[in-house]
Amino acid sequence: MIGPEDVGGVHVKYLHHCRRQLWLYARGVRPEHLSTTVQMGEAVHETSYTRSSPVDLGAAKLDHLDGAAWVHEVKSSSKPGRADEAQAMHYCYRLHGVGVAAQGAILHYPKTRRTKRLPYTPQAAEQAEADIAAVLEVVSAPVSPPLLPRPSCRGCSYLDYCWNE
Amino acid sequence: MPTATRTYWLTTPCRIRRKDQSLRIERPDGSPVHIPITDVRDIVACEPIDINTAVISLLNQHRVNVHFLSHYGDYAGSLLTSDTSTSGQTVIAQARLAGDPAASLDIARAIVASTAANVRRVVDRKLLTRPMTILESSIAGASSREELMGAEGTFRRSAWAVLDTRLPDWLRLDGRSRRPPLNAGNAFISYVNGITYARLLSAIRLTPLHSGVAFLHSSMERQRHSLVLDLAEVFKPLFAERLLLRLAGRGQLKPAHFDVDVNQAMLSEPGRKLVVQTVRDELAVTIQHRALGRNVAYDELLYLEALQLTRTCLEGTPYKPFRIWW
Ligand code: SF4
Repeated sequence: MIGPEDVGGVHVKYLHHCRRQLWLYARGVRPEHLSTTVQMGEAVHETSYTRSSPVDLGAAKLDHLDGAAWVHEVKSSSKPGRADEAQAMHYCYRLHGVGVAAQGAILHYPKTRRTKRLPYTPQAAEQAEADIAAVLEVVSAPVSPPLLPRPSCRGCSYLDYCWNE
Repeated sequence: MPTATRTYWLTTPCRIRRKDQSLRIERPDGSPVHIPITDVRDIVACEPIDINTAVISLLNQHRVNVHFLSHYGDYAGSLLTSDTSTSGQTVIAQARLAGDPAASLDIARAIVASTAANVRRVVDRKLLTRPMTILESSIAGASSREELMGAEGTFRRSAWAVLDTRLPDWLRLDGRSRRPPLNAGNAFISYVNGITYARLLSAIRLTPLHSGVAFLHSSMERQRHSLVLDLAEVFKPLFAERLLLRLAGRGQLKPAHFDVDVNQAMLSEPGRKLVVQTVRDELAVTIQHRALGRNVAYDELLYLEALQLTRTCLEGTPYKPFRIWW
């Protein structure tokens, strides 16, 4: 079973998207390499911000950290969601953990040409820590969390797993 | 496997070399073909191929598996990348289920029942009504995998006999024979089953399941990928029997497609080409999926089946093996 240091941005994102997805992800169910939405996500990544340099933080991988210590994340969806924000704050938390005083995150949505700026505040830090604890709790549950109502599953790459019968 | 196009089928003997991030396929006749490695999901080698270490490391990096079919079409083996999706927790759940006699027998029963339903569906509904009734009661009474397999064998024999009545003389099976197949019909079935096996191995490798832990066949015995054998059962009729009947019915299959000896038969080179082409096209055929509400390719059905079994292992949902529903 994973420990606090193994919790990464994806875990946090899934925690906020769907707990069931997180539980499955931790068990190796990873349909994302098959999903066309995710393939498109990668394409967006490759074409839009070629000058950025990805930063590898072990469990966390982020798209780009600029000179003013703002984390940049490129998103393939069209509007900011709770899960994206939590993931970005998780990265800031991790950066602080390794001594980089990240100021916050800027989420980029190339589809709608929007950006969203999220400063890293003490509350955000607290939330990031609480998220890690919540991830561990979900992942170690013996029984899978229930399915979301089907409309909320739209676009989820786990749909084939959850709704196939 | 949503896209059937990403599987490369090699139907002539060739050599594969590496050129940067591409595979360079060299055939004895004609100029080499370059395929970017990112376009390849997996490769099915229907003819001998020659590869080297540079190619293997490129395949490995991109998780591309190569499956080899022997001349008889028996599945000969695979070059599997070392990086798998297998997950410890899922394999433990799978092994626990396989080790639980009652639970694994339930899964085995379901596989046998669905397989027979699929055979009946493609061969002949009416003539197989009685054998099916007998099979159903044997399934209910069976207390071991061996008994189940025995009951399935009995049903299969009736089905082969009925199948023969719908085939021209020269394609009749006269009972199932393999290693080597004794006649043209058997050679066809063996070859298509080999392809089905290879496709399923690829599908299972995309899930966190272990391909060696099975429910109907004995785990890890002789056959390393016994779970593939389990899942292949339900799909064989969809491809092998169904396509044999179709190609025979349309007169597309000719004696020239086979090399037949006194005690063995195999597909000739044009025969292999025809069969591979047919199966490949068939894998790309799409149907509307009832539960998912979208079109899925037959090839994807194999992956969905493996996913469903993953769910059975992880969450204990009953496994309802694939049944032809259209
Ligand atoms: S398909 Fe729905 S229930 Fe399943 S993981 Fe995705 S959001 Fe959750």
